Amino acid sequence: MKRMKHLCRPLLSAVILLAVSLASTFAQEDRDYGVRTHQLKNGMRILVQEDHSIPNIALYIYYRIGSRNERPGTTGLSHFFEHMMFNGAKKYGPKQFDEVMEAAGGSNNAYTSNDVTAYQDWFPRSALETIFDLEADRIQNLNFDEKMIESERQVVASERRTSVDNSNFGILDEQLSAAAFTAHPYQWPVIGWMVDIENWTMEDLSNHFRVGYSPANATMVVVGDVTLDEIVRLAQKYIEPIPSRGLPPKVTTREPEQIGERRVTVRKFAQLPIVMAGYHVPEAADPDYYPLQVLKTVLFEGQSSRMYQRLVDKDQLAISIQGDYSAAFDPTLFGITIRPKAGVQPETAEKAVYEELDRVKSALVTDRELEKAKNILVADFYRSMKTIDGKARSLGTYEVFFGDYRKLFTAAASYSQVSKEDLQRVARKYFMDKNRTVATLIAEKEEPAK
Amino acid sequence: MNKRTFLLWCLCMFVLITASQAAQLVSVKLPPYTKVQLKNGLTVLLMEQREVPIVSFNMIVKTGSVADPKGKEGLASLTAELLRKGTRSRTSEQISSALDFIGGDFAMNANTDYTTSNAEFLKKDLSQGMELMADITLNPIFPQEEVTKLIAQRIDGIKSAKDRADSVIGRYFATYLYGTHPYARAVGGDELSLTSITRADVQRFYEANYVPANTILAVAGDFNLTEMRTMVERYFDAWAARNPLPVQITPPSPVRGKRLLLVDKPDSTQTYFYLGNVGISRTNPDRVAIAVVNTVFGGRFTSRLNTALRVDSGLTYGARSAFDQRKAAGPFLISTYTRNAATEQALDMTLKVLSALHENGISETELSSVKQYMKGQFPPSIETSDQLASTIARLEFYGLDESDINSYFAKIDAVTVAEARRIIKQYFPLDNLVFVLIGKAAEIQPIAKKYAPVIDTKSISQPGF
Repeated sequence: MKRMKHLCRPLLSAVILLAVSLASTFAQEDRDYGVRTHQLKNGMRILVQEDHSIPNIALYIYYRIGSRNERPGTTGLSHFFEHMMFNGAKKYGPKQFDEVMEAAGGSNNAYTSNDVTAYQDWFPRSALETIFDLEADRIQNLNFDEKMIESERQVVASERRTSVDNSNFGILDEQLSAAAFTAHPYQWPVIGWMVDIENWTMEDLSNHFRVGYSPANATMVVVGDVTLDEIVRLAQKYIEPIPSRGLPPKVTTREPEQIGERRVTVRKFAQLPIVMAGYHVPEAADPDYYPLQVLKTVLFEGQSSRMYQRLVDKDQLAISIQGDYSAAFDPTLFGITIRPKAGVQPETAEKAVYEELDRVKSALVTDRELEKAKNILVADFYRSMKTIDGKARSLGTYEVFFGDYRKLFTAAASYSQVSKEDLQRVARKYFMDKNRTVATLIAEKEEPAK
Repeated sequence: MNKRTFLLWCLCMFVLITASQAAQLVSVKLPPYTKVQLKNGLTVLLMEQREVPIVSFNMIVKTGSVADPKGKEGLASLTAELLRKGTRSRTSEQISSALDFIGGDFAMNANTDYTTSNAEFLKKDLSQGMELMADITLNPIFPQEEVTKLIAQRIDGIKSAKDRADSVIGRYFATYLYGTHPYARAVGGDELSLTSITRADVQRFYEANYVPANTILAVAGDFNLTEMRTMVERYFDAWAARNPLPVQITPPSPVRGKRLLLVDKPDSTQTYFYLGNVGISRTNPDRVAIAVVNTVFGGRFTSRLNTALRVDSGLTYGARSAFDQRKAAGPFLISTYTRNAATEQALDMTLKVLSALHENGISETELSSVKQYMKGQFPPSIETSDQLASTIARLEFYGLDESDINSYFAKIDAVTVAEARRIIKQYFPLDNLVFVLIGKAAEIQPIAKKYAPVIDTKSISQPGF
């Protein structure tokens, strides 16, 4: 029996070599890196990367709509809508989307963020046409059944209880964003406030569908055992007939500059406290994105990172420390999460973090630290590209957040251009006291009376 | 924020689709690999996968927390993490720095049965990566200050985990279900057992168990077989041959009757619950048929449990079931969570779905759907060299060979409705069940006695599980 070639991905090899060599010149504008693109007449853009290593396909559809497009009173609607996308359309009624997909060997998931709603299908090649039929049905003819809405409202309430209300990190993170943003919609949680979850109406859902789910507002990414031609043929048959509508209204709000530190406290039953700090930092498209990612790596990634060494290893103030900064459409937060050790005052651990931030402001990082950070970023990059699913996700992220999937392949070059001086410059620019919001969870021995 | 995450625990096995035109999911075959034994007893498995300039390693030391001495639970796990906290020639910081510098990682982790780590290096960093792996494995010195530091961190880590019910319910369930069997012990130990572990315990555990004859090293990726064999010898030949302590795990007995543990977490607005009993081992001859039935019952989004508790009733964000397969019989469990006031309704519904499985078995339609589903979802679990290294290492550990995987699709296809009935009767407990509930006792205690004649209670703040 002939074995299929297990990992035939010449493209990935090329990518890794490119990344490893840290080519300092930007790749040519006209390179496609083995990714083929097509634009449907209704405005949906399609990216296809062939990868025949396994007889499977990962298909992502990104809609550029998320909690950022919501208003007070309907917070969490994008996420709730994402759930409703699985609850019945015209050809395939309630429950059938999942039943038909699983019977064809496929599985699915979806996620909502501040910025986007993404739908993911993973399936064997034999299910390809079924998947297009299912996706087209729900994009075009989603049905809102009152009974399904009420049932799904409870599901989302349960999800909120588990991801926020019964998670001290969830509670604190929500409080941090609510305090850090005063004007911009990043202030409310993606899952929505419980009171809003309880009060959405059918009309809210219809509006959301009309505004956010136009084909022109979507990007499809397909990676796996396919060709561009067959994807275009299926897209023309199933997706292209769906008429285009307008794009969602532009989100014009910009968060005003923060002019002084803000502090929030949460008191609840817990065994250990938590401290979270957030600094306002720019969106993915900003040139400072790359130096901030390198700085994050120097400070937080690996057991040899500065923060781990100082807080966890040397001073033993915390059991863990973590830095977060992800691609976003609008200026967002650089988050720092500290789990102080039992008996350590949260402010002691907090102070040590600020001292480390001051250290990168006052003196340049070493050459070795810089090189190590770049190596880690390159390794992360190739790990993300090992699977068809990882490739689809990465291509989609760069296409949607950076405006061009090719920036995925030039990211290593962008990182290689970051200098020690850049790190110092961005540290001085963003890690200022007045640009900071701090949320502290104070552990109470008993649950305070409500 | 991920909204439909549905954990599929039903299956942990990896295969490779073969078939020239693989649109039809007809067969699977593991790529060939070579097994060699070094003079010191180390078992080495080598699989060439030359398409990407990456080499993946998977190491298994065939001893896990079942070897922890009583009262020193957490020793295997602690020893594993301490390995890289200092060797004869490197400090902890130097090891981390060297690994981070090549974008690699190597961190051993214990479970009940064994201790393992994967590692992955770019081909250009291979020698450096392997030298580090060998240094960490062969030459750890367990500095006293690192032992003290890690024990303190682990204790705080347990306290922090207890602030979230779903991160600790599995530990309470194992302890309550397995009683005096070693599978009852929390792999990471608890707030009390950790304090009794000394540096000498760690050193002794290392010397007794980190022995080449007790270790499997699987390598998959871009290398030449002969060259890799030479490299493994270069870095691991110095590992002194010793006889390992044999690990015997007695077969655990299922619990008879019904028992319920209620763990009070006063801030809880949801009740989290597990119910189940002792399940099956990894080498159970019926495991594929069991996986087929379990996928229908609680192993995918459209499963009976998730349909009843989530899709039809909105009681929860997710409900599932799983057979955790180990050297000896691991737990079978059903798990979900719901708001405090709906606890009774959700428990009743769970038991009803379980009874219905026994009464009606599974239908032809469900069977044909689940076969396609399991086969269709399989290939992505063997896409990468690290997945393959891990797969062959585990086959070796369990005393299995590639036929276990190469017969996988045929075994799925062979399951009939009648066979499913036998599986349900034999493996899905109905009258003998152990329940663990974590939630606000003040609100849910009154309904607990409905489910079992024996009720035990604990507070989440109490040390241990």
